[in-house]
Amino acid sequence: MKRKWIMLALSLLLVIALSACSSSGSGTSNKKVTLDIFQFKVEFKKQFGELAKLYEKDHPNVKVNITTVGGGSDYGAALKSKFASGNEPTIYNIGGPSDVKDWKAKLSDLSGTKAAKLALPGTLKGVQQGSKVYGLPFNEEGYGLLYNKQVFKKAGIDPNSIKSMDDLKKVSRELDQNKSKLGIKAVYAFPAKETWVTGLHASNVFLSPEFDQDVTKAFESKTVSFKYGKQFKQYLDIQQNYSIQPTASLDYSAQVEQYFSNGKVAMIQQGVWVASTIAGISKDFEKNNVGIIPIPVDGFKTDSIPVGVPMYWAVNSNKSPAEIKAAKDFLNYMYTSDTGKKMVLEKFQFIPAYSGYDSSKIKDSLARQIYEYAQNKKTIGWVFMGYPTGWGQNTLGADIQKYTSGKMSWNALVKDAQNGWKSARNQ
Amino acid sequence: MKDKRTWFWLFLAPVLISLFFVVVLPLLFGIYYSFTDWNGIFLTKFVGFKNYSAVFQNTSFLNALWFTVKFAIVSIIMENIIGLGLALLVTQKFKGNNFLRTIFFMPNLIGGLILGFIWQFIFVKAFAAIGGLIGIKAMESWLATPNTGFWGLVILMSWQYAGYIMVIYIAYLENVDRELIEAAEIDGANAWQRFYQITVPMIAPAFTVNLFLTLSNSFKLYDQNLSLTAGGPYNSTQMLAMDIYNTAFSQNNMALGQSKAVIFFLIVAIISLTQVYYSKKKEVDVG
Repeated sequence: MKRKWIMLALSLLLVIALSACSSSGSGTSNKKVTLDIFQFKVEFKKQFGELAKLYEKDHPNVKVNITTVGGGSDYGAALKSKFASGNEPTIYNIGGPSDVKDWKAKLSDLSGTKAAKLALPGTLKGVQQGSKVYGLPFNEEGYGLLYNKQVFKKAGIDPNSIKSMDDLKKVSRELDQNKSKLGIKAVYAFPAKETWVTGLHASNVFLSPEFDQDVTKAFESKTVSFKYGKQFKQYLDIQQNYSIQPTASLDYSAQVEQYFSNGKVAMIQQGVWVASTIAGISKDFEKNNVGIIPIPVDGFKTDSIPVGVPMYWAVNSNKSPAEIKAAKDFLNYMYTSDTGKKMVLEKFQFIPAYSGYDSSKIKDSLARQIYEYAQNKKTIGWVFMGYPTGWGQNTLGADIQKYTSGKMSWNALVKDAQNGWKSARNQ
Repeated sequence: MKDKRTWFWLFLAPVLISLFFVVVLPLLFGIYYSFTDWNGIFLTKFVGFKNYSAVFQNTSFLNALWFTVKFAIVSIIMENIIGLGLALLVTQKFKGNNFLRTIFFMPNLIGGLILGFIWQFIFVKAFAAIGGLIGIKAMESWLATPNTGFWGLVILMSWQYAGYIMVIYIAYLENVDRELIEAAEIDGANAWQRFYQITVPMIAPAFTVNLFLTLSNSFKLYDQNLSLTAGGPYNSTQMLAMDIYNTAFSQNNMALGQSKAVIFFLIVAIISLTQVYYSKKKEVDVG
């Protein structure tokens, strides 16, 4: 008899244990506001946590919970399941016009916030609808052709002399001929495997002009014309011909760590985000040896760097007014209070997307160079957030792989990319 | 008697309940969503079979299906031949056969994602280095062409699963009655005849189990695919599971992805059940 009771107890325990998993997180303490933040930037998770602690100290009635899920499509998937589970976050991230469209019913208008008023001109483009602002920019990022200063010096080439695609080709050929003297294996490390490098970043430079550098225009456009397709082809050809081979299996880490940071190639197409990776291999290299030059687009701009906002903060409108207020206050605190600004510049090492920052405090050399381009208005707008979802990577990026492997002609690529865009827009 | 029944269901209940919530319910929801225009956030209307007809006009799905079928056929054969070979080897009487069993089984203890990255390193870096040394150009471009991507996946999967398959074969091989084999030997059967006429029929249930395991594994492969090739170059090594994931999450086409998933489920179910049915018929009953 006794044994039976033990068994019953055991099986009950099992059932309870199983059901307990789903019933956590009930019961809120009085008046205390909890901010659930669901964000994607893995790189600054620790520093962001520090900022949250500081905020909690100043605002004892607010508790900040941060969840971080990394990069790209995984974040979008995780965010959707988070909402589907009913456990909606208060603050989350959106990427641009297509996210605004998808999430519109769950976005608060942030136009009244101090941060929105201080946002640099152009940084709100992707998240604005009329007078409403649905997101606040994280930071600004920029990319271009990073070059190894030492190699260029040794070869006696002035990087600023590259003012057209022909110049770029000439310089590449020259570097290629002196490979062994310069101690490099190839001129470029061209990661065709990383479809975001080719299909999003590289293509952006050449597609941006046809959409007037406006992400919203790209998002609303039913077609893409490849007006600067000839230049785009030329650029890809140069990269492909003078790169470490095979490019179809060359990935980001090989490109940045193995080849560029170790001085095995002269140039790579990358952006400000590689600074910490390069510094991880050699601090000295990062500080003194990395320069950035624009990707020249003949007939458009040959002296400008693509600068844009990678991600925005959004506030869930489906929360209580007190929570929404606290969320806005937290975002203001991060970007407009003195403590927050200091954190943003020194700890997060962001290129600020808001006015009122002391740019001389930017530590990282690449970020400073890009910030200078931005200050001089030598920028090309980011439009790739306005591409049809998945088009940049899965259609264009994959086609570029085919093209560089010699399995597809350029005309076929353009046609396929145009059809892909059209059919995605007409769905 | 009645008491026993209560206990039966009581003990089964936790499993049944959780199975219902994590398998049956999501499946039903999934089928439901595949008939709508669900985008992961909202659902506005029913669209009937529109998603399903779109699936069959979708070249990426058809390519992935064809690639998966090719991959499944080759890897089922490879895994079973290697697995059976290893099992025959380590059931021989020699020193160190237990040690070898452990070694062969070991790859299976490493997670698929990590294995994918390890092999990516081997194919891309180590192969290129060896190829460079001995001057074979072809070895420097592994995973950069559709063919090497395909064989890379096959090698990776055979290496990982052969050990697991081996363990199942061992279990059956050790149950084969020695007397039968000795009797055959006395009757003058050579080694091949003894293996083919006696051992193979006796371990037929092992074939059923192993074919089923390798079949469903090859079809449902995702993590190794993701970490080894990520579908590249140009989506040529994208398998079904990855195509479904990409449709749903990176192209944000949840309902279409869901319909692909339902079709995928049907394909796997039909193939596996047919295979089990026919393999079972082949098993001999030695009661």
